[in-house]
Amino acid sequence: MPTRNPAPLTPPLNPTILRLSRQALLGRRRGLVLVIIPTVLLALAVIVAALTDDAVGYESVLTLGYTLALPLVALLAATAVLGPEVDDGSIVYLISKPVSRHVIALSKFAVAWAATVVFGGLPLLVAGLVLDSGDTRQAVAWGVAGVVAGTAYTALFIALAAFTRHAVVIGLLFALLWEGLLGSLLGGIKWVSIGAWGRGVGHDVSGQLTGPGTGLTYALVAAVLLTVAALWFTGDRLRSFTLRGDE
Amino acid sequence: MCSAMSELSTDPSSATPEGRSVIHDLGYRPYTGPRLGPAAIARALLVTGFRNAFGLGRSGRSKVLPFILLGLNILPSVIIGGVMVLVGLKELPIGYAQYASTTQVLLGIFVAAQAPVLFSRDLRHGTISLYLARPLPSATYAIARWGALLGATLVFLVSPVVILYAVALLGELDVSDQSRDAAVAAGMAVLLALALAGVAGLIASWSTRRGFAVVATIALLLLGNGIVTAIQAIAGEEHHARVGEVAGLFSPYSLYRGLMAMWADGDIATPPTGVPMQTAYVVVFVGLSAACLGGLVWRYRRVATA
Repeated sequence: MPTRNPAPLTPPLNPTILRLSRQALLGRRRGLVLVIIPTVLLALAVIVAALTDDAVGYESVLTLGYTLALPLVALLAATAVLGPEVDDGSIVYLISKPVSRHVIALSKFAVAWAATVVFGGLPLLVAGLVLDSGDTRQAVAWGVAGVVAGTAYTALFIALAAFTRHAVVIGLLFALLWEGLLGSLLGGIKWVSIGAWGRGVGHDVSGQLTGPGTGLTYALVAAVLLTVAALWFTGDRLRSFTLRGDE
Repeated sequence: MCSAMSELSTDPSSATPEGRSVIHDLGYRPYTGPRLGPAAIARALLVTGFRNAFGLGRSGRSKVLPFILLGLNILPSVIIGGVMVLVGLKELPIGYAQYASTTQVLLGIFVAAQAPVLFSRDLRHGTISLYLARPLPSATYAIARWGALLGATLVFLVSPVVILYAVALLGELDVSDQSRDAAVAAGMAVLLALALAGVAGLIASWSTRRGFAVVATIALLLLGNGIVTAIQAIAGEEHHARVGEVAGLFSPYSLYRGLMAMWADGDIATPPTGVPMQTAYVVVFVGLSAACLGGLVWRYRRVATA
Protein backbone atom coordinates (compact mmCIF):
# COMPACT_ATOMS: atom_id res chain seq x y z
CA MET A 1 0.00 0.00 0.00
CA PRO A 2 1.57 3.27 -1.10
CA THR A 3 2.14 5.73 1.68
CA ARG A 4 0.48 9.05 1.09
CA ASN A 5 2.83 11.96 1.05
CA PRO A 6 1.96 14.53 3.66
CA ALA A 7 0.60 17.75 2.10
CA PRO A 8 3.53 20.09 1.41
CA LEU A 9 3.69 22.88 3.92
CA THR A 10 2.79 26.14 2.18
CA PRO A 11 4.93 29.04 3.29
CA PRO A 12 2.84 31.87 4.72
CA LEU A 13 4.33 34.34 2.25
CA ASN A 14 4.60 34.06 -1.50
CA PRO A 15 7.83 35.57 -2.91
CA THR A 16 6.29 36.44 -6.29
CA ILE A 17 3.39 38.32 -4.74
CA LEU A 18 5.82 40.05 -2.42
CA ARG A 19 7.86 41.24 -5.40
CA LEU A 20 4.82 42.37 -7.43
CA SER A 21 3.34 44.19 -4.46
CA ARG A 22 6.61 45.94 -3.79
CA GLN A 23 6.69 47.13 -7.39
CA ALA A 24 3.10 48.35 -7.18
CA LEU A 25 3.92 50.18 -3.98
CA LEU A 26 7.10 51.89 -5.06
CA GLY A 27 5.96 52.65 -8.60
CA ARG A 28 6.74 56.16 -9.69
CA ARG A 29 4.24 58.66 -8.27
CA ARG A 30 2.84 56.61 -5.43
CA GLY A 31 6.32 55.83 -4.14
CA LEU A 32 7.13 59.51 -4.41
CA VAL A 33 4.26 60.56 -2.13
CA LEU A 34 5.13 57.72 0.22
CA VAL A 35 8.62 59.20 0.56
CA ILE A 36 7.51 62.83 0.58
CA ILE A 37 5.24 62.51 3.63
CA PRO A 38 7.98 61.37 6.10
CA THR A 39 10.51 63.71 4.44
CA VAL A 40 8.27 66.71 5.09
CA LEU A 41 7.77 65.59 8.68
CA LEU A 42 11.51 65.23 9.24
CA ALA A 43 12.20 68.58 7.56
CA LEU A 44 9.70 70.19 9.94
CA ALA A 45 11.41 68.51 12.89
CA VAL A 46 14.85 69.76 11.76
CA ILE A 47 13.58 73.31 11.23
CA VAL A 48 11.82 73.41 14.59
CA ALA A 49 14.86 71.95 16.34
CA ALA A 50 17.14 74.51 14.70
CA LEU A 51 14.99 77.53 15.50
CA THR A 52 13.92 76.76 19.06
CA ASP A 53 15.96 76.09 22.16
CA ASP A 54 14.51 73.36 24.31
CA ALA A 55 11.93 70.81 23.22
CA VAL A 56 9.25 73.39 22.45
CA GLY A 57 7.66 71.84 19.40
CA TYR A 58 8.20 68.21 20.43
CA GLU A 59 4.59 67.44 21.26
CA SER A 60 3.03 69.23 18.30
CA VAL A 61 5.40 67.80 15.67
CA LEU A 62 5.18 64.23 16.96
CA THR A 63 1.40 64.46 17.35
CA LEU A 64 1.16 65.68 13.76
CA GLY A 65 3.28 62.78 12.57
CA TYR A 66 1.39 60.25 14.66
CA THR A 67 -2.20 61.32 14.02
CA LEU A 68 -1.90 62.45 10.40
CA ALA A 69 1.25 61.26 8.61
CA LEU A 70 1.17 57.71 9.99
CA PRO A 71 -2.47 56.91 9.01
CA LEU A 72 -1.92 58.51 5.60
CA VAL A 73 1.19 56.39 4.95
CA ALA A 74 -0.60 53.24 6.14
CA LEU A 75 -3.61 54.05 3.97
CA LEU A 76 -1.47 54.75 0.93
CA ALA A 77 0.56 51.56 1.41
CA ALA A 78 -2.42 49.32 2.17
CA THR A 79 -4.55 50.53 -0.73
CA ALA A 80 -1.58 50.54 -3.11
CA VAL A 81 -0.95 46.80 -2.76
CA LEU A 82 -4.60 45.82 -3.29
CA GLY A 83 -6.65 48.79 -4.54
CA PRO A 84 -5.49 49.19 -8.17
CA GLU A 85 -5.81 45.46 -8.85
CA VAL A 86 -9.36 45.41 -7.53
CA ASP A 87 -10.08 48.65 -9.41
CA ASP A 88 -9.04 47.46 -12.86
CA GLY A 89 -10.09 43.86 -12.32
CA SER A 90 -6.62 42.33 -12.78
CA ILE A 91 -7.00 40.76 -9.34
CA VAL A 92 -8.77 37.83 -11.05
CA TYR A 93 -5.49 36.79 -12.66
CA LEU A 94 -3.90 36.69 -9.23
CA ILE A 95 -6.66 34.78 -7.46
CA SER A 96 -6.99 32.29 -10.30
CA LYS A 97 -3.57 30.97 -9.32
CA PRO A 98 -3.35 27.97 -7.00
CA VAL A 99 -2.23 30.10 -4.08
CA SER A 100 -4.18 30.29 -0.87
CA ARG A 101 -6.11 33.55 -0.67
CA HIS A 102 -4.94 33.93 2.90
CA VAL A 103 -1.34 33.67 1.69
CA ILE A 104 -2.11 36.40 -0.87
CA ALA A 105 -3.59 38.60 1.86
CA LEU A 106 -0.69 37.93 4.21
CA SER A 107 1.96 38.59 1.52
CA LYS A 108 0.34 41.87 0.54
CA PHE A 109 0.04 42.84 4.18
CA ALA A 110 3.73 42.07 4.77
CA VAL A 111 4.77 44.51 2.02
CA ALA A 112 2.39 47.26 3.13
CA TRP A 113 3.39 46.74 6.76
CA ALA A 114 7.09 47.08 5.96
CA ALA A 115 6.37 50.32 4.08
CA THR A 116 4.29 51.66 6.98
CA VAL A 117 7.01 50.88 9.48
CA VAL A 118 9.76 52.43 7.34
CA PHE A 119 7.86 55.50 6.14
CA GLY A 120 5.45 55.99 9.06
CA GLY A 121 6.88 54.53 12.26
CA LEU A 122 10.61 55.04 11.84
CA PRO A 123 10.31 58.79 11.01
CA LEU A 124 8.56 59.27 14.37
CA LEU A 125 11.60 57.82 16.15
CA VAL A 126 14.00 59.93 14.07
CA ALA A 127 11.91 63.11 14.51
CA GLY A 128 11.88 62.50 18.26
CA LEU A 129 15.68 62.15 18.32
CA VAL A 130 16.13 65.27 16.17
CA LEU A 131 13.91 67.35 18.43
CA ASP A 132 15.33 66.15 21.74
CA SER A 133 18.43 63.98 21.40
CA GLY A 134 18.73 63.73 25.21
CA ASP A 135 15.52 61.78 25.66
CA THR A 136 16.02 58.59 23.66
CA ARG A 137 13.41 56.75 25.67
CA GLN A 138 10.61 59.10 24.62
CA ALA A 139 11.63 58.89 20.97
CA VAL A 140 11.62 55.08 21.18
CA ALA A 141 8.19 55.25 22.82
CA TRP A 142 6.83 57.24 19.87
CA GLY A 143 8.47 54.78 17.47
CA VAL A 144 6.90 51.81 19.27
CA ALA A 145 3.52 53.53 19.33
CA GLY A 146 3.90 54.20 15.61
CA VAL A 147 4.74 50.57 14.82
CA VAL A 148 1.85 49.20 16.89
CA ALA A 149 -0.69 51.64 15.46
CA GLY A 150 0.80 51.33 11.97
CA THR A 151 0.40 47.53 12.06
CA ALA A 152 -3.27 47.75 13.04
CA TYR A 153 -3.96 50.59 10.56
CA THR A 154 -2.39 48.67 7.69
CA ALA A 155 -4.37 45.51 8.45
CA LEU A 156 -7.61 47.46 8.79
CA PHE A 157 -7.07 49.41 5.57
CA ILE A 158 -6.18 46.25 3.61
CA ALA A 159 -9.41 44.68 4.82
CA LEU A 160 -11.27 47.81 3.72
CA ALA A 161 -9.58 47.71 0.31
CA ALA A 162 -10.70 44.11 -0.15
CA PHE A 163 -14.20 44.97 1.02
CA THR A 164 -15.10 48.15 -0.87
CA ARG A 165 -14.02 50.43 -3.67
CA HIS A 166 -14.36 53.38 -1.32
CA ALA A 167 -11.68 52.02 1.00
CA VAL A 168 -9.61 55.20 0.85
CA VAL A 169 -12.45 57.52 1.79
CA ILE A 170 -13.77 55.24 4.54
CA GLY A 171 -10.25 54.84 5.88
CA LEU A 172 -9.81 58.60 5.91
CA LEU A 173 -13.15 59.06 7.67
CA PHE A 174 -12.07 56.51 10.29
CA ALA A 175 -8.60 57.94 10.89
CA LEU A 176 -9.39 61.65 10.64
CA LEU A 177 -13.03 62.03 11.63
CA TRP A 178 -13.66 59.17 14.05
CA GLU A 179 -10.25 59.09 15.75
CA GLY A 180 -9.26 62.71 15.20
CA LEU A 181 -12.23 65.05 15.45
CA LEU A 182 -14.71 62.87 17.37
CA GLY A 183 -11.92 61.29 19.43
CA SER A 184 -11.03 64.68 20.86
CA LEU A 185 -14.68 65.35 21.75
CA LEU A 186 -15.83 61.95 23.00
CA GLY A 187 -13.45 60.36 25.50
CA GLY A 188 -14.95 56.89 25.11
CA ILE A 189 -13.58 56.59 21.57
CA LYS A 190 -10.19 55.74 23.09
CA TRP A 191 -11.48 52.18 23.54
CA VAL A 192 -12.10 51.78 19.80
CA SER A 193 -9.34 53.93 18.36
CA ILE A 194 -6.16 52.48 16.86
CA GLY A 195 -4.24 55.67 17.60
CA ALA A 196 -5.13 55.41 21.28
CA TRP A 197 -3.99 51.77 21.43
CA GLY A 198 -0.60 52.70 20.01
CA ARG A 199 -0.29 55.51 22.54
CA GLY A 200 -1.22 53.06 25.29
CA VAL A 201 1.71 50.82 24.34
CA GLY A 202 4.05 53.80 23.88
CA HIS A 203 3.06 55.14 27.31
CA ASP A 204 4.37 51.96 28.85
CA VAL A 205 7.78 52.56 27.27
CA SER A 206 8.08 56.19 28.38
CA GLY A 207 5.79 58.05 30.75
CA GLN A 208 6.50 61.24 28.80
CA LEU A 209 4.10 60.03 26.14
CA THR A 210 0.64 60.67 27.55
CA GLY A 211 -1.39 57.50 27.31
CA PRO A 212 -5.14 57.32 26.82
CA GLY A 213 -5.58 55.37 30.03
CA THR A 214 -6.79 52.10 28.58
CA GLY A 215 -3.94 50.09 30.03
CA LEU A 216 -1.16 48.21 28.22
CA THR A 217 -2.87 44.82 28.15
CA TYR A 218 -6.08 46.09 26.59
CA ALA A 219 -4.18 48.16 24.01
CA LEU A 220 -1.99 45.24 22.93
CA VAL A 221 -4.78 42.68 22.88
CA ALA A 222 -7.06 45.01 20.93
CA ALA A 223 -4.36 45.82 18.36
CA VAL A 224 -3.38 42.17 17.85
CA LEU A 225 -7.01 41.05 17.70
CA LEU A 226 -7.91 43.69 15.13
CA THR A 227 -4.87 42.87 12.99
CA VAL A 228 -5.54 39.14 12.97
CA ALA A 229 -9.27 39.55 12.37
CA ALA A 230 -8.70 42.07 9.57
CA LEU A 231 -6.17 39.81 7.83
CA TRP A 232 -8.42 36.78 8.09
CA PHE A 233 -11.29 38.87 6.72
CA THR A 234 -9.14 40.05 3.80
CA GLY A 235 -8.30 36.47 2.85
CA ASP A 236 -11.94 35.51 3.21
CA ARG A 237 -13.08 38.38 0.99
CA LEU A 238 -10.54 37.37 -1.66
CA ARG A 239 -11.86 33.80 -1.40
CA SER A 240 -15.41 34.92 -2.21
CA PHE A 241 -14.43 37.73 -4.53
CA THR A 242 -16.94 39.07 -7.05
CA LEU A 243 -16.04 41.56 -9.74
CA ARG A 244 -18.13 44.66 -10.08
CA GLY A 245 -18.13 47.19 -12.89
CA ASP A 246 -17.02 50.75 -12.50
CA GLU A 247 -19.63 53.00 -10.96
CA MET B 1 -35.42 57.73 -62.41
CA CYS B 2 -33.66 61.05 -62.84
CA SER B 3 -36.68 63.09 -61.85
CA ALA B 4 -37.17 60.91 -58.78
CA MET B 5 -33.59 61.62 -57.72
CA SER B 6 -33.95 65.39 -58.06
CA GLU B 7 -37.22 65.28 -56.17
CA LEU B 8 -35.52 63.43 -53.37
CA SER B 9 -32.63 65.85 -53.13
CA THR B 10 -34.93 68.83 -52.51
CA ASP B 11 -36.15 67.11 -49.36
CA PRO B 12 -34.16 68.65 -46.46
CA SER B 13 -34.29 65.40 -44.54
CA SER B 14 -32.80 63.32 -47.32
CA ALA B 15 -29.41 61.79 -46.84
CA THR B 16 -27.71 63.99 -49.45
CA PRO B 17 -29.05 67.56 -49.36
CA GLU B 18 -28.97 69.58 -52.55
CA GLY B 19 -25.58 70.85 -53.53
CA ARG B 20 -23.74 68.43 -51.23
CA SER B 21 -22.18 65.17 -52.15
CA VAL B 22 -21.18 62.17 -50.18
CA ILE B 23 -19.17 59.12 -51.16
CA HIS B 24 -21.74 56.58 -50.10
CA ASP B 25 -25.36 57.53 -49.70
CA LEU B 26 -26.84 54.76 -47.62
CA GLY B 27 -30.15 56.60 -47.54
CA TYR B 28 -30.23 57.17 -43.79
CA ARG B 29 -32.08 60.25 -42.64
CA PRO B 30 -29.58 62.79 -41.23
CA TYR B 31 -30.00 65.10 -38.28
CA THR B 32 -31.65 68.34 -39.43
CA GLY B 33 -32.40 70.02 -36.09
CA PRO B 34 -30.58 73.04 -34.73
CA ARG B 35 -26.89 72.48 -34.01
CA LEU B 36 -25.75 74.03 -30.72
CA GLY B 37 -22.26 75.43 -30.43
CA PRO B 38 -19.46 74.97 -27.89
CA ALA B 39 -21.30 77.16 -25.39
CA ALA B 40 -24.17 74.71 -25.15
CA ILE B 41 -21.77 71.77 -24.86
CA ALA B 42 -19.89 73.53 -22.06
CA ARG B 43 -23.16 74.32 -20.29
CA ALA B 44 -24.31 70.69 -20.53
CA LEU B 45 -20.91 69.52 -19.31
CA LEU B 46 -21.08 71.90 -16.36
CA VAL B 47 -24.55 70.78 -15.29
CA THR B 48 -23.77 67.07 -15.73
CA GLY B 49 -20.52 67.47 -13.85
CA PHE B 50 -22.24 69.23 -10.98
CA ARG B 51 -24.87 66.50 -10.77
CA ASN B 52 -22.21 63.77 -11.03
CA ALA B 53 -20.27 65.29 -8.15
CA PHE B 54 -23.19 64.35 -5.91
CA GLY B 55 -23.75 61.03 -7.68
CA LEU B 56 -26.94 62.26 -9.39
CA GLY B 57 -27.31 60.63 -12.78
CA ARG B 58 -24.93 57.87 -11.68
CA SER B 59 -25.54 54.55 -9.95
CA GLY B 60 -27.19 54.45 -6.56
CA ARG B 61 -24.00 53.25 -4.90
CA SER B 62 -22.11 56.36 -5.96
CA LYS B 63 -24.75 58.60 -4.39
CA VAL B 64 -24.10 57.15 -0.96
CA LEU B 65 -20.71 58.70 -0.25
CA PRO B 66 -21.29 62.36 -1.26
CA PHE B 67 -24.62 62.48 0.51
CA ILE B 68 -23.24 60.90 3.70
CA LEU B 69 -20.46 63.51 3.69
CA LEU B 70 -22.94 66.31 2.99
CA GLY B 71 -25.19 65.00 5.77
CA LEU B 72 -22.29 64.83 8.24
CA ASN B 73 -21.34 68.38 7.28
CA ILE B 74 -24.86 69.73 7.79
CA LEU B 75 -25.60 67.72 10.93
CA PRO B 76 -23.79 70.02 13.42
CA SER B 77 -25.59 73.09 12.05
CA VAL B 78 -28.96 71.35 12.49
CA ILE B 79 -28.01 70.32 16.03
CA ILE B 80 -26.87 73.86 16.81
CA GLY B 81 -30.15 75.16 15.45
CA GLY B 82 -32.13 72.73 17.58
CA VAL B 83 -30.18 73.59 20.72
CA MET B 84 -30.64 77.32 20.06
CA VAL B 85 -34.40 76.91 19.73
CA LEU B 86 -34.74 74.69 22.80
CA VAL B 87 -32.43 76.62 25.13
CA GLY B 88 -33.32 80.01 23.71
CA LEU B 89 -29.81 81.34 23.06
CA LYS B 90 -29.53 84.93 21.90
CA GLU B 91 -26.49 84.38 19.71
CA LEU B 92 -25.10 81.62 17.55
CA PRO B 93 -22.62 79.44 19.49
CA ILE B 94 -20.42 79.24 16.37
CA GLY B 95 -19.67 81.94 13.80
CA TYR B 96 -20.75 81.45 10.19
CA ALA B 97 -17.18 81.69 8.91
CA GLN B 98 -15.82 79.51 11.72
CA TYR B 99 -18.07 76.62 10.71
CA ALA B 100 -16.06 75.73 7.59
CA SER B 101 -12.86 75.85 9.61
CA THR B 102 -14.31 73.44 12.19
CA THR B 103 -15.49 70.92 9.59
CA GLN B 104 -12.40 71.21 7.41
CA VAL B 105 -11.66 67.48 7.56
CA LEU B 106 -15.05 66.65 6.04
CA LEU B 107 -14.66 69.39 3.48
CA GLY B 108 -11.23 68.11 2.48
CA ILE B 109 -12.46 64.52 2.16
CA PHE B 110 -15.46 65.59 0.08
CA VAL B 111 -13.40 67.64 -2.36
CA ALA B 112 -10.65 65.01 -2.55
CA ALA B 113 -13.11 62.16 -3.07
CA GLN B 114 -15.28 63.87 -5.69
CA ALA B 115 -12.56 65.53 -7.76
CA PRO B 116 -11.43 62.18 -9.30
CA VAL B 117 -15.06 61.54 -10.29
CA LEU B 118 -14.91 64.63 -12.50
CA PHE B 119 -11.29 64.63 -13.59
CA SER B 120 -9.74 61.13 -13.44
CA ARG B 121 -12.38 58.91 -15.01
CA ASP B 122 -12.38 60.46 -18.48
CA LEU B 123 -8.60 60.35 -18.58
CA ARG B 124 -8.29 56.80 -17.27
CA HIS B 125 -10.91 55.31 -19.60
CA GLY B 126 -9.84 57.41 -22.59
CA THR B 127 -13.31 58.93 -23.00
CA ILE B 128 -11.63 62.33 -22.99
CA SER B 129 -10.95 61.91 -26.73
CA LEU B 130 -14.71 61.62 -27.34
CA TYR B 131 -15.30 64.96 -25.63
CA LEU B 132 -12.45 66.60 -27.49
CA ALA B 133 -13.76 65.24 -30.82
CA ARG B 134 -16.67 67.69 -30.44
CA PRO B 135 -16.26 71.34 -31.33
CA LEU B 136 -15.11 71.95 -27.77
CA PRO B 137 -11.71 73.43 -26.94
CA SER B 138 -9.77 71.52 -24.30
CA ALA B 139 -9.62 74.69 -22.19
CA THR B 140 -13.42 74.89 -22.12
CA TYR B 141 -13.62 71.25 -21.04
CA ALA B 142 -11.15 71.92 -18.21
CA ILE B 143 -13.00 75.05 -17.07
CA ALA B 144 -16.40 73.33 -17.24
CA ARG B 145 -15.16 70.43 -15.08
CA TRP B 146 -13.52 72.84 -12.65
CA GLY B 147 -16.72 74.90 -12.50
CA ALA B 148 -18.71 71.77 -11.69
CA LEU B 149 -16.38 70.90 -8.80
CA LEU B 150 -16.45 74.52 -7.65
CA GLY B 151 -20.26 74.49 -7.62
CA ALA B 152 -20.38 71.24 -5.66
CA THR B 153 -17.85 72.54 -3.14
CA LEU B 154 -19.85 75.74 -2.76
CA VAL B 155 -23.05 73.81 -2.07
CA PHE B 156 -21.12 71.82 0.54
CA LEU B 157 -19.71 74.98 2.14
CA VAL B 158 -22.71 77.30 1.97
CA SER B 159 -25.56 74.97 2.96
CA PRO B 160 -24.65 74.92 6.70
CA VAL B 161 -24.29 78.71 6.60
CA VAL B 162 -27.77 78.99 5.12
CA ILE B 163 -29.19 76.69 7.80
CA LEU B 164 -27.51 78.66 10.60
CA TYR B 165 -28.74 81.93 9.03
CA ALA B 166 -32.30 80.62 8.78
CA VAL B 167 -32.22 79.51 12.43
CA ALA B 168 -30.79 82.88 13.46
CA LEU B 169 -33.55 84.74 11.64
CA LEU B 170 -36.29 82.44 12.97
CA GLY B 171 -34.85 82.95 16.46
CA GLU B 172 -35.27 86.71 15.92
CA LEU B 173 -31.62 87.65 16.26
CA ASP B 174 -30.57 91.03 14.89
CA VAL B 175 -31.23 90.82 11.15
CA SER B 176 -28.62 93.32 9.93
CA ASP B 177 -25.81 91.83 12.06
CA GLN B 178 -26.62 88.28 11.03
CA SER B 179 -27.00 89.21 7.36
CA ARG B 180 -23.62 90.92 7.34
CA ASP B 181 -21.86 88.02 9.06
CA ALA B 182 -23.51 85.45 6.82
CA ALA B 183 -22.62 87.45 3.70
CA VAL B 184 -18.97 87.69 4.79
CA ALA B 185 -18.94 83.93 5.44
CA ALA B 186 -20.45 83.27 2.01
CA GLY B 187 -17.81 85.45 0.36
CA MET B 188 -15.04 83.62 2.20
CA ALA B 189 -16.65 80.31 1.25
CA VAL B 190 -16.31 81.31 -2.42
CA LEU B 191 -12.59 82.03 -1.94
CA LEU B 192 -12.01 78.73 -0.13
CA ALA B 193 -14.01 76.77 -2.70
CA LEU B 194 -11.99 78.37 -5.53
CA ALA B 195 -8.72 77.27 -3.95
CA LEU B 196 -9.87 73.76 -2.96
CA ALA B 197 -11.48 73.01 -6.33
CA GLY B 198 -8.30 74.15 -8.08
CA VAL B 199 -5.92 72.10 -5.94
CA ALA B 200 -8.04 68.94 -5.91
CA GLY B 201 -8.83 69.20 -9.62
CA LEU B 202 -5.20 69.63 -10.56
CA ILE B 203 -4.10 66.60 -8.54
CA ALA B 204 -6.98 64.47 -9.85
CA SER B 205 -6.16 65.39 -13.44
CA TRP B 206 -2.55 64.33 -12.93
CA SER B 207 -3.30 61.04 -11.25
CA THR B 208 -5.68 58.71 -12.98
CA ARG B 209 -5.78 56.33 -10.03
CA ARG B 210 -8.73 57.32 -7.89
CA GLY B 211 -7.45 56.19 -4.49
CA PHE B 212 -4.06 57.72 -5.03
CA ALA B 213 -5.52 61.10 -6.02
CA VAL B 214 -7.66 61.12 -2.88
CA VAL B 215 -4.75 60.42 -0.53
CA ALA B 216 -2.44 62.86 -2.33
CA THR B 217 -5.05 65.65 -2.09
CA ILE B 218 -5.72 64.93 1.58
CA ALA B 219 -2.00 64.78 2.31
CA LEU B 220 -1.48 68.15 0.64
CA LEU B 221 -4.49 69.83 2.29
CA LEU B 222 -4.50 68.37 5.79
CA LEU B 223 -0.81 67.58 6.28
CA GLY B 224 0.02 71.04 4.90
CA ASN B 225 -2.49 72.55 7.27
CA GLY B 226 -1.15 70.48 10.16
CA ILE B 227 2.42 71.61 9.51
CA VAL B 228 1.36 75.26 9.23
CA THR B 229 -0.69 74.97 12.43
CA ALA B 230 2.29 73.45 14.28
CA ILE B 231 4.60 76.22 13.07
CA GLN B 232 2.05 78.88 14.00
CA ALA B 233 1.57 77.43 17.48
CA ILE B 234 5.35 77.26 18.08
CA ALA B 235 5.86 80.76 16.63
CA GLY B 236 3.11 82.07 18.90
CA GLU B 237 4.79 80.53 21.96
CA GLU B 238 8.21 81.83 20.96
CA HIS B 239 6.85 85.33 20.20
CA HIS B 240 7.89 85.29 16.56
CA ALA B 241 4.42 86.10 15.25
CA ARG B 242 5.78 87.12 11.84
CA VAL B 243 7.07 83.59 11.19
CA GLY B 244 3.60 82.19 11.86
CA GLU B 245 1.99 84.80 9.63
CA VAL B 246 4.27 83.94 6.73
CA ALA B 247 3.76 80.20 7.32
CA GLY B 248 0.01 80.80 7.05
CA LEU B 249 0.44 81.66 3.38
CA PHE B 250 1.29 78.06 2.50
CA SER B 251 -1.98 76.22 3.01
CA PRO B 252 -5.55 76.97 1.82
CA TYR B 253 -7.00 76.28 5.25
CA SER B 254 -4.56 78.55 7.08
CA LEU B 255 -5.19 81.27 4.48
CA TYR B 256 -8.89 80.88 5.25
CA ARG B 257 -8.22 81.16 8.98
CA GLY B 258 -6.16 84.29 8.36
CA LEU B 259 -9.03 85.88 6.45
CA MET B 260 -11.39 84.77 9.19
CA ALA B 261 -9.31 86.63 11.77
CA MET B 262 -9.37 89.69 9.51
CA TRP B 263 -13.00 89.83 8.43
CA ALA B 264 -14.93 87.76 10.94
CA ASP B 265 -14.26 86.92 14.55
CA GLY B 266 -11.93 84.03 15.00
CA ASP B 267 -9.25 83.42 17.56
CA ILE B 268 -6.15 82.00 15.86
CA ALA B 269 -2.53 81.70 16.93
CA THR B 270 -0.93 84.29 14.65
CA PRO B 271 -3.49 86.43 12.79
CA PRO B 272 -2.09 88.47 9.87
CA THR B 273 -1.28 91.97 11.07
CA GLY B 274 -0.59 95.06 9.00
CA VAL B 275 -2.00 95.97 5.61
CA PRO B 276 0.81 94.39 3.50
CA MET B 277 0.47 91.00 5.19
CA GLN B 278 -3.33 91.09 4.99
CA THR B 279 -3.12 92.00 1.30
CA ALA B 280 -0.64 89.15 0.81
CA TYR B 281 -3.16 86.69 2.27
CA VAL B 282 -5.87 87.76 -0.19
CA VAL B 283 -3.46 87.90 -3.14
CA VAL B 284 -1.97 84.46 -2.41
CA PHE B 285 -5.43 82.96 -1.92
CA VAL B 286 -6.71 84.27 -5.26
CA GLY B 287 -3.36 83.64 -6.97
CA LEU B 288 -3.34 79.98 -5.84
CA SER B 289 -6.78 79.45 -7.35
CA ALA B 290 -5.79 81.15 -10.61
CA ALA B 291 -2.56 79.17 -10.84
CA CYS B 292 -4.39 75.88 -10.30
CA LEU B 293 -6.97 76.75 -12.96
CA GLY B 294 -4.14 77.69 -15.31
CA GLY B 295 -2.46 74.37 -14.56
CA LEU B 296 -5.66 72.50 -15.35
CA VAL B 297 -6.08 74.27 -18.70
CA TRP B 298 -2.44 73.53 -19.53
CA ARG B 299 -2.80 69.89 -18.52
CA TYR B 300 -5.82 69.35 -20.78
CA ARG B 301 -4.16 71.15 -23.66
CA ARG B 302 -1.34 68.63 -23.39
CA VAL B 303 -3.84 65.77 -23.25
CA ALA B 304 -5.58 67.15 -26.35
CA THR B 305 -2.39 67.44 -28.37
CA ALA B 306 -0.79 64.24 -27.14
